[in-house]
Amino acid sequence: MSPREALRSPVALFYAAVAFGLLLVAGLLLAVLRWGLRKNVDQAWQSYRGWLFIVPLTAAAIFLGREATIVFFTGVALLGFREFARATGLDGDLYMTVAVYVGIVAAGVVALVPDPAQPVPGWYGLFMALPVFVIAGILLIPVLGNRVHGQLHALALAIVGFIYFGWMFGHVAFLANAKHAYAYLIYLLFAVELNDIAAFLIGKLFGRHALRSNISPKKTWEGALGALAVSLALPWALWFTFPHLGPQDLLAAGLIVGVGGQLGDLAISVIKRDLGIKDLGSIIPGHGGILDRTDSLIYVAPLFFHYLRYRHDLNPSP
Amino acid sequence: MEQWHYDPAANYDAALTEQLRVFPPGLDTLVRMVRLLAAVVLRCWLRVYHRLTIIGRHNLPAEGPFILVANHASHLDTLCLLAALPLSRLHCTFPGAAKDYVCVNGLRAVLAAVVVNALPFDRLFAPWQSLSVCAHLLERPDTILILFPEGTRSGGLAPEEFKPGVALLAASCGIPVVSCHLAGTHAALPKGAWCPRPRAVRLTIGAPHVYPHLPATKESAKQICRELREAVMLLGKVEPEEFRVRKPAPRKMFQSPVLQP
Repeated sequence: MSPREALRSPVALFYAAVAFGLLLVAGLLLAVLRWGLRKNVDQAWQSYRGWLFIVPLTAAAIFLGREATIVFFTGVALLGFREFARATGLDGDLYMTVAVYVGIVAAGVVALVPDPAQPVPGWYGLFMALPVFVIAGILLIPVLGNRVHGQLHALALAIVGFIYFGWMFGHVAFLANAKHAYAYLIYLLFAVELNDIAAFLIGKLFGRHALRSNISPKKTWEGALGALAVSLALPWALWFTFPHLGPQDLLAAGLIVGVGGQLGDLAISVIKRDLGIKDLGSIIPGHGGILDRTDSLIYVAPLFFHYLRYRHDLNPSP
Repeated sequence: MEQWHYDPAANYDAALTEQLRVFPPGLDTLVRMVRLLAAVVLRCWLRVYHRLTIIGRHNLPAEGPFILVANHASHLDTLCLLAALPLSRLHCTFPGAAKDYVCVNGLRAVLAAVVVNALPFDRLFAPWQSLSVCAHLLERPDTILILFPEGTRSGGLAPEEFKPGVALLAASCGIPVVSCHLAGTHAALPKGAWCPRPRAVRLTIGAPHVYPHLPATKESAKQICRELREAVMLLGKVEPEEFRVRKPAPRKMFQSPVLQP
């Protein structure tokens, strides 16, 4: 991944055209609805404004290359954990929070450096073993501080924070090391967000039966199944971007995104409902916090990553 | 099983820029880590690029709240003064910054809050409100306030007249006011310039002044201002012994041993 490679890669150019084309079409559609048909589109407009930030930022990071992509997603993970830490009150425990931040940065560094054993970018072995060391470090903190009261609570929050928001999300960054980084990484981002939007729109139009009434009252079975159908179809439409994948891989990719996307959304909703809050932050206008936007991605990314790696290896030897 | 009790940060769901604009800032570990990292990088940069020399660091009180006052000619002034203070007190050091300058643009506000931990001082409309914020901060056991009593960046050689705010904070209480003088910052980064020039910068820290005997009135404020301004100017004039231009010791050249045939 590098600017020169991005300009030469038909996959990257295709996705760039699709992303900015969709932004343009959505903008025009909103303009027609707002001024042509005099509809109230305030909510959609808020969300659209958010996309106007997200898409160019992500595109710029991916365009600039592997290093910029890893730094960008590590930064997003740091801000995401910050939201979690502030919403749960873990931020009050300085050392515990510092340990998790250091762990997240370490995951980024391990994704950046090459593997000493073989000439591929990204130290895969250490990346997978990283939770062991970070959890060992986190467990050390109450011992060194000679503290007991409330420590199980803080430990649990810190470990969930690192594993889920740091390390599992870190798989997105690590995907930048793949040989087919553009195809895999952009497909992942594109499919997950499309799945979210499809679930929202189909649920809004046809939704009748609540999917999980206690966790998220607005999600419906109709929305989830509609999104699953969209996600199952998407890899076939994008087959030309990863021609080396077989039909069963396309089916698996669709299933992982279609099912995992909904589950990831619900998983963060469980945390939010237990905390008794609506959004974890409001960094992106119209979307809430980082974690409200990346909830599905965190769940899907590691599953997608390990499926692809098991089947095709990230950097297959020629 | 009893439910865990969570206590979210007060404004966890506000936008990032809004969270950073809240003053005094709450505990935010990520911001503190970034500030610490920036402080280390800035200190190295000031030492290397601007050859920052700090004289009289022993004059800084070791503990308790105090106020630093200095002449103000450049943005570098704040960074130089911050570089003289111990890193352990970085997060309770609040440099005063003009609210009408800092808070007009999002990026500037974020940088001021994260890197400098700036106290947005309303010098135009409600200076007394900002002064009461300062007074509250000084009630904490470890606050350091960095204030530029001139109220703006002056370009001249001698500092302009001091505004009475600092004097009102210091009068009738035992909080030490440490006068400092900065030389070379104007040449390095004058008002309006973007790129700092590699000029040498010197920071001289003077002895602390205390004014518990003076009441917080207009007259004593004028007197304190005059005293502080003279102290700052005096620091600028004195060429301390430590800062005499040191000639580099003649380097011993490596001489290749003469080979005996």
